[in-house]
Amino acid sequence: MNDFNAARDIPILLGAFFVLTAAIGMVRFPDLYSRLHASSKLITLGSAGIFIGVGLEFAQTEALTRLAAVLLFQFLTTPLSAYLIAQAAYLRGLAPLLEGPDEWNALGKAALLDRRLEELQGSAED
Amino acid sequence: MRGLSLNILLAIVWTLFVGEFSLRELAIGMLLGFAILSFFPLSLGTGNYVRRTLAVVRFALFFVRELTAANVQVALWALRPRPPLHPMVIAYPLRLSGDTAQTVLAATITLMPGSVAMGFNPERSVLYAHVIGADSPQAAREGFKKVEDALLPLYGQSAASTAPTVEEHA
Repeated sequence: MNDFNAARDIPILLGAFFVLTAAIGMVRFPDLYSRLHASSKLITLGSAGIFIGVGLEFAQTEALTRLAAVLLFQFLTTPLSAYLIAQAAYLRGLAPLLEGPDEWNALGKAALLDRRLEELQGSAED
Repeated sequence: MRGLSLNILLAIVWTLFVGEFSLRELAIGMLLGFAILSFFPLSLGTGNYVRRTLAVVRFALFFVRELTAANVQVALWALRPRPPLHPMVIAYPLRLSGDTAQTVLAATITLMPGSVAMGFNPERSVLYAHVIGADSPQAAREGFKKVEDALLPLYGQSAASTAPTVEEHA
């Protein structure tokens, strides 16, 4: 422990902790939609912590610009994939485990499916 | 656009001034240039740029705070013996319009405490989200409203435009 560097090691340890809880959450949460909460949020901040720690270890311009790019793409892609997985699962009829209301089923799902069907038919005619 | 190009120009002038072209000096030049632009918004015509940049900074701070809170909360749920999830799917009537703005809103909500965006209605006036850990749909919508309020000035849209209620869409 004599080469412990707080600025470098604390972000890495925090990030590793969040990635670990993401893994635990993925196993313990009850259904796909709840698991997405664990995977999208915890993985984003967890990997951000690890990347920041690694970037501070090198502390050079090249390392820091790459770090910024990695973080940017991480923040752009993770929510997008969570959104697509949730929507695809829902439209294919995987019912979420619910204790509260299901307002999408009441308001939106049928209309969205109709719209998708029209689009598909339209592209088939072209 | 004019504000941004002026700001970059001022940053380049600054690097010439200190005689060292590096990322660090460019960043300092951007900050100093931004200070100049915000001191003289009328004569330089950069009021809009300054307002928007400040909105971006405010949103970034808000976002980092919310993301940290979200992570601590979900981490605690993952570790608790019986997580109090209360999962539900809620509809949120949107005031934001425009492709980029709505995409950013959906992405932010996914990284926020207890919510994952799931879809829009065909007219894209309602956002659907899967929510865990909220007491009621109203409480969850309050959280979304905070994000939307932070995003509205970023896209030059006013918060005054009234949002349709969920019941009107039913």
